[in-house]
Amino acid sequence: MEWSIAETGIRYTAKLSDSEGTMNLSGFTADGQESIHGEISITRDSQANRLLVEIDGSAHIAHVAKVGDDWWIHLDGRIHVVTGHEPGSSSDSSGEGGLNAPMPGTILEVHVKEGQRVREGQTLLVMEAMKMEHRIQAPKAGEVVRLNFSEGDRVDMGATLVELGD
Amino acid sequence: MSELPFNAVLVANRGEIAVRVLTAAREAGLKGVAVYSDADAKALHVEIADEAIHLPGKTLSETYLNSDAIIAAAQSSGAQAIHPGYGFLSERADFASAVKQSGLVWIGPPPEAISTMGDKISARLKMMESGVPVIPGEELSVPDGADHLGQLAACAARVGYPLLLKASAGGGGKGMRAVSEPKMLRTEYEAASREASAAFGDGTIYVERLMVGARHIEVQVLADSHGNCIHLNERDCSLQRRHQKVIEEAPSPVVNSELRDAMGAAAVRAAKAVDYEGAGTVEFLLSDRGEFFFLEMNTRLQVEHPVTEMITGIDLVLKQFEVAAGMPLGLNQSDIGITGHSMEARIYAEDPSKGFLPAIGDLAMWRAPAGPGIRVDTGVREGDSVTVDFDPMLAKLVVHAPSRTAAARRLHNALSDLRVLGVITNIGFLRQMTMHPDFVSGSITTDYLDSTDISKFAEPEIDPSSLVAIAAAASRFGLDKGGSGGDGELIDEHTGHAGDPFRTLSRSFP
Repeated sequence: MEWSIAETGIRYTAKLSDSEGTMNLSGFTADGQESIHGEISITRDSQANRLLVEIDGSAHIAHVAKVGDDWWIHLDGRIHVVTGHEPGSSSDSSGEGGLNAPMPGTILEVHVKEGQRVREGQTLLVMEAMKMEHRIQAPKAGEVVRLNFSEGDRVDMGATLVELGD
Repeated sequence: MSELPFNAVLVANRGEIAVRVLTAAREAGLKGVAVYSDADAKALHVEIADEAIHLPGKTLSETYLNSDAIIAAAQSSGAQAIHPGYGFLSERADFASAVKQSGLVWIGPPPEAISTMGDKISARLKMMESGVPVIPGEELSVPDGADHLGQLAACAARVGYPLLLKASAGGGGKGMRAVSEPKMLRTEYEAASREASAAFGDGTIYVERLMVGARHIEVQVLADSHGNCIHLNERDCSLQRRHQKVIEEAPSPVVNSELRDAMGAAAVRAAKAVDYEGAGTVEFLLSDRGEFFFLEMNTRLQVEHPVTEMITGIDLVLKQFEVAAGMPLGLNQSDIGITGHSMEARIYAEDPSKGFLPAIGDLAMWRAPAGPGIRVDTGVREGDSVTVDFDPMLAKLVVHAPSRTAAARRLHNALSDLRVLGVITNIGFLRQMTMHPDFVSGSITTDYLDSTDISKFAEPEIDPSSLVAIAAAASRFGLDKGGSGGDGELIDEHTGHAGDPFRTLSRSFP
């Protein structure tokens, strides 16, 4: 399993060795490169969703919950999201060329036409969701292959708004 | 409380404020009646109510904004009084009148007070009439060729510097000029007048005090139907983002007892001017020179009312019940003190790293902190879904400590112990904020967040190896398969799978 944290795009792997129920971190890579890592050992707690974590000799408690592909982790007062990826899966979801609605809402403005070339960061659409306006911008330069909605349309979350080709 | 003319209260609201008011009702020995829409069928406020009435319909106007349905729900449940909470119908004078006309007790101010204060112009006139300071401003109309500068200088001196010259016929920034000191008045006036005449053919100028570096200070008032009216000190809500309050506190770090007395007296005059009854809030802007000006009066309970309760020890919702019942306040101004310092952080489902985009999902874990001086007012619990249907405020984390410094630390620690997994929130942002020197020093003004690079409140990078090791170990231990006992594990009731945050989008509380 590969992992990523937030949206840095870096893929990590962790090798754990099991010693009588304690998981010790024995190898760690970042984007395929062996990386330095702390002395980390992790033990299950009697409470589900709670792990005892020893990092460089000091004890911590991690609270965890799995939602979809994400492990949500509360550690030392902070909340983190670590996403699991099947090995070999694409590291860049926008590479597929589809631009999805981040929230359900309404299309307010359409700034491009099918067949139009756009530059990276160009605003393609403006939508309103939860009383806020959001700009949908091109993640890369390319051609607008398909526009699926027009002004005033309601869209569901995750709906593909624009398909971008190279 | 046998003297109350009602023994059951309907709460025409949802979320944390419905929970707050229903709890207060039960503590007062009253039956608490909730109303709910389809999306809220399993909501916390429904669970804690003694009785809950369903409001059919899909939209807010069919449910929480439906006056007729709510009044009918009160009548069918036997509730003799209605508490509106905040938002929704709370500041609708027509609803207040309809409640009274149907023979029910309205737990709020008289409808006339709501409508006078609800209109900016009538409120401003009423305040001027009652000697409550409003933001100074005057219109100056000078015929061509007259001595405009002498008149303008006199007018500017009355309004005070820094000031804003606005073309009365202006718009879009045309003919608007800021003047910081008297010697700049002539140049800026001529420029503004030229722009205004050119653009609108009318050189009439409105002179208004320019408020920069102001703080938002509001005063809680309580009034009864016997003519008693007192204030319960101020709250400082200067930390705002686009006029949305983020952290509120009481007392204000910049209000001394002399200013408190003056602002409190002005707030009481404001309330008396409209024959106010119940709990209300008079909002002021406090300039960097220590002058305060009336902004508006909120004729209802405020979101941030708990900080006042913490420092005064007075339960504002209970007082609302008593006043609505016609009882006297039983408090004099001299009974109101200040014990320690209180702060409230609003916990929103939103992503500070994406321009505070509202977030949705399922609360796979919701564990609130507890301990001395910590209060959590919430309308959600573990397993609930956060959807686009309602306001993204999940809870209010309130602390009380002997001093402001101790309160800031307590709030920071309590935020660190608030374990919310499954939905992105502003908790990390609030943690950074409560440690930031600008906040700790108490020097925040209302323009602060909107003029500050938000990324400076991002949490620092941490070593990824420990997080990845935890995720990998959690998978190896099978904690995603329900673990042992499934504590905190969210199972979708329809599929039996651990909940996909998006699968339950259209439903509210799975």
